[in-house]
Amino acid sequence: MNEPIENEKSTEIVLALETKHVNAWFGDHHVVKDISLKVTKNDVFSLIGPSGCGKSTLIRCLNRLHEETDGASVSGEVIIPGAAKLENIYAFGVDPVSIRRRVGMVFQKPNPFPGLSIFDNVAAGLRLAGVIRRTVLEEIVETSLVQAALWLEVKDKLKKPGTSLSGGQQQRLCIARALAVKPQILLMDEPTSALDPVSTARIEELVMKLRTDVTVLIVTHNMQQAARISNQTAFLLTGELVEVGTTKAIFTKPKDARTEQYITGRFG
Amino acid sequence: MINLSARDGRRRISNVLWLSLLCLLAFTAIAPLFFIFSYLLIRGWGGLSIAFFTETPLPVGEIGGGMSNAISGSLVLMALSVSFGVPLGLACGMALAELKTSLTARLLRMSIDLLTSVPSIVIGLFAYALVVVPLKTYSAWAGGFALSVVMVPIVARSTEEILKLVPSSVHEAGLALGLPRWKVLLRLIVPGVRAGITTGILLALARVSGETAPLLFTAFSNSFGYRGLSAPIASLPVQIYTYASSHDDTWRQLAWTGALVLVFLVFCLNLITRLLLRRAR
Repeated sequence: MNEPIENEKSTEIVLALETKHVNAWFGDHHVVKDISLKVTKNDVFSLIGPSGCGKSTLIRCLNRLHEETDGASVSGEVIIPGAAKLENIYAFGVDPVSIRRRVGMVFQKPNPFPGLSIFDNVAAGLRLAGVIRRTVLEEIVETSLVQAALWLEVKDKLKKPGTSLSGGQQQRLCIARALAVKPQILLMDEPTSALDPVSTARIEELVMKLRTDVTVLIVTHNMQQAARISNQTAFLLTGELVEVGTTKAIFTKPKDARTEQYITGRFG
Repeated sequence: MINLSARDGRRRISNVLWLSLLCLLAFTAIAPLFFIFSYLLIRGWGGLSIAFFTETPLPVGEIGGGMSNAISGSLVLMALSVSFGVPLGLACGMALAELKTSLTARLLRMSIDLLTSVPSIVIGLFAYALVVVPLKTYSAWAGGFALSVVMVPIVARSTEEILKLVPSSVHEAGLALGLPRWKVLLRLIVPGVRAGITTGILLALARVSGETAPLLFTAFSNSFGYRGLSAPIASLPVQIYTYASSHDDTWRQLAWTGALVLVFLVFCLNLITRLLLRRAR
């Protein structure tokens, strides 16, 4: 895990994230069981599985957010490329705050900061990290909103509260907010489950565009969504990794009978 | 069918009866408020004059004078109590909201609730022992301190309640941006609920502006106006208490008018609170 990043490049596949034997608990409840995965850089990777299979908990382990919940605990390693070499985000002495700046997150329900304007919502991460020059902020806010496909709709009302937008717009605002701090990985926890089909389509479209800038890990209970937007898919069941592979392989010729049952709608 | 409509009629009658009874009881409950207001207006209005707000009281037996000392004193005491009580109360409230159900939070919450139920005269005694005795004089400092002790639990609990209304997902959004907890709370959560927190502060202020007991042997009183924070200072409630129990007609009139002004002040604070709350929604 400490080999220089060049070694990875020589194999043509650049690693964005790797989990090694990740386990997660809520108190005594073992929700994520021994999961080892590799995610390629600039890929869209989806995690599918029925409700309660631990997929949300798993991605919350990837930016060390899981541990913020009372009684929650994690074991295992999560490796992401650092400035010079690969780093385990759970290594002793690693500050979770610095990890979260590199691994962004979009949540299930849009959660703009109440009382903050559209501009301030997007600028929040940078501003509080010490970026105060107005011109710099304005530029980053604009590019982030463009990336999140929201700029045209909000450019004339940046001072309006973020909560005044529609649900779908709020979710794109949250995406812009996450992108503004320029994360290397973007985690999305069922980002469209609270949205209507039109807003969902817009977000799927933008996720596919985002892969040029950032690696996306998306949790979804919508299999069609996984099939539409991702290159790699992992199927989780009761906290265990059942199968992982290219999305095409998972959906056309799954190796595991349980995957086949799930994608053909036999349960979940 | 006939049976049914007969039952329907009875149901309607009992509905009207019960509803009128409820309304009657509700009006009885708030009647004292109207009596207080109208009585204060009748007795206090006559004493309202520019002199009431600009002049200090005159010795017993002399006609005239005002309560400028008590009005300015009350304002000074309120400012002092806000400057001690609000930061402490806010800190407590934020700590409670942040620590949620941990042992520290539960102990803190229990202590704050106990503090709310401590009789205000006891708080006055406490301030006497802690501030008046060492400084060897009654003072505005002591009065402000006593009032801030009354204020802290109110501000703390209202701040906690407001912060608890912010969904935890908003908190997580801040954490996910790579910001430390305290920054998320102070810079992202609190600004969003400013109006709610201000409401709690104003309510606490309205409460302490009418407190008499904590001031009796802390701020004490003086009849000359502001003499510095280390000197005794007058306040509306204490002045009203003193003058209302005197035998001088001029003083008693001053007490009535003082009471009217005090009630009006508290009423205004409550009104501002309501307006703020409505704007926040």
